[in-house]
Amino acid sequence: MKQNYSYSVPKDVIGHRLIELAKDNHKIVVLSSDVSVSTNVEMFHKEFPERFFELGIAEQSTMSVAGGFASEGFIPVYVALAIFSNGMTWAQTRQVCNANLNVKIIGTHAGVDDGQDGSGHHATEDIAISRVLPGMTVLSPSDEYEVAAAIDAMIQYDGPVYMRVARDEQPVIHSKICTFTIGKAEVLEDMGNEFAIVFEGTALRQALEGFEYACSMGKKGKLVSVRSIKPIDKECILYLADSVNTIVVVENHSVLGGLYSTICECLAGQKNRAVIKSVGFHDEFAESGSPKDIKEKYGLNIEQIAKMLG
Amino acid sequence: MKITGTIDFDKLRMIANENRKKVLDMVYFGGSGHVGGALSATDVITYLGECVIDYDSKERDKFLLSKGHAVPALYAELHHLGYIQDAELSTFREINSRLQGHTNLLHMPLTDITTGLLGQGLSYGVGMAFAKKLKKSRNTIFVMTGDGEMHEGQIWEALMQAGHYKLDNLVLIIDRNGLCSHQPVENVISIEPLRERLEAFGWNVKEINGHNMEEIHSCVSGLNAQYGKPKCIISHTVKGKGISFMENNGKWHRNIPNKDEYVAACKELSLAREGI
Repeated sequence: MKQNYSYSVPKDVIGHRLIELAKDNHKIVVLSSDVSVSTNVEMFHKEFPERFFELGIAEQSTMSVAGGFASEGFIPVYVALAIFSNGMTWAQTRQVCNANLNVKIIGTHAGVDDGQDGSGHHATEDIAISRVLPGMTVLSPSDEYEVAAAIDAMIQYDGPVYMRVARDEQPVIHSKICTFTIGKAEVLEDMGNEFAIVFEGTALRQALEGFEYACSMGKKGKLVSVRSIKPIDKECILYLADSVNTIVVVENHSVLGGLYSTICECLAGQKNRAVIKSVGFHDEFAESGSPKDIKEKYGLNIEQIAKMLG
Repeated sequence: MKITGTIDFDKLRMIANENRKKVLDMVYFGGSGHVGGALSATDVITYLGECVIDYDSKERDKFLLSKGHAVPALYAELHHLGYIQDAELSTFREINSRLQGHTNLLHMPLTDITTGLLGQGLSYGVGMAFAKKLKKSRNTIFVMTGDGEMHEGQIWEALMQAGHYKLDNLVLIIDRNGLCSHQPVENVISIEPLRERLEAFGWNVKEINGHNMEEIHSCVSGLNAQYGKPKCIISHTVKGKGISFMENNGKWHRNIPNKDEYVAACKELSLAREGI
């Protein structure tokens, strides 16, 4: 296992990757709600001004505009902070799914990654409110290379997709040749069957550090990235549940309706070996602070992971 | 425009009359639906179906019925055009039917949009208008909203966006029948001065009697010569138009006629037909 990682901000890759794809795929258009600088798609605006649409601070309409583009055969990618592109648009997103339109939604600053702006800007419910929509695919890639690969997969896939992306720095654990398959989890480490730490992409850093801590304490387990939350890799989850004693689910999200809930739903109705435990945000709004401090204070941290592992 | 030659207005009135009867039948026999707002929109929808939207073309004008509860009027016209069969009309709102309670893209692709939540259709129109321009297509996107629907905040977002980008291939038709679900729009939340508000948002606004085929034709056929602004037609109509006891009566937003009322309504439509 690598010990010394470089760190980068995953959302910074979004504009670059969309530009690369749009060179060959002329159906791609990008929509923004006055946050093109924050979300790193302003460079797309400069590269393809005729295929970039600044629609103002009007998220509901922008989501439906995306639906209109998709109805005409384009692949609209609506990029905004998660609380805007996802949190502000549920009724509009529901209609996009209701018509199974090929709309791609990227939510940056997932979880508490827009820490200082306070709880109004935190997106700790986006997995819950998007995965419940019929037909919606929900992705949560981890580091910058996986985000790039997930954007490729999202564009190739025909149907509505929501992808959450971290703003907080994440260790770079993949290489440039990273691949991403919708519906498949990634087993990053497999050192034994005492435990598995299972995480969604934007909680990579805490999950990885928690795993390393457990290893340093002599525990032997697995580290698994559930980068596709819907569809979830049921085969992988069942394998883990039958293989290890404890699964700790780590998420930069509310434990209600997020990855922990998804995994519990996967395993309900049957007996498995593992006990499932959760590390995330527990039915409360957080507060202003650096993402690191918020995660520390509200329980998305190594101590909580260690506590759950016993 | 699908038809560029001479328009037979009496024929259009006859088709609209038949469409009203189909709206009545769908709601009466189906036991569910919104009759009042469908009848106010029937003349414009009939005109668009007969003269404007070429449903046989792949790349074509589109008609988005944002006030999707008025869909019986659209189904009636699609039936007249041959896209819905006779027997299918009686399945409106029933299980396994293509004729969903609001327009639905998956069940009936010709309806061009999935609705059910008011306020979203104009934004779809903005997206489609952008898309048509990117494709360098000369098609026009028509969106019909209700006047009560203008309460939805998203409409005003879309009005701003279309005005800002001068989407002159986008036409908003406001079915100004004056009534919300049971009472006057102006009593609920005023939308006046509507014309001035729309003009202030950068729209080119016309007002017509939405039950007069000559006026509808004159207005719609003149739109293509106007450039540089999105276009709005405030279509002044009567909720429940064509059936006297339903006209301007909030009760008939989604009331279902009983047998006597149904018979009386059929008689009125029949008399009107003879008068054309």
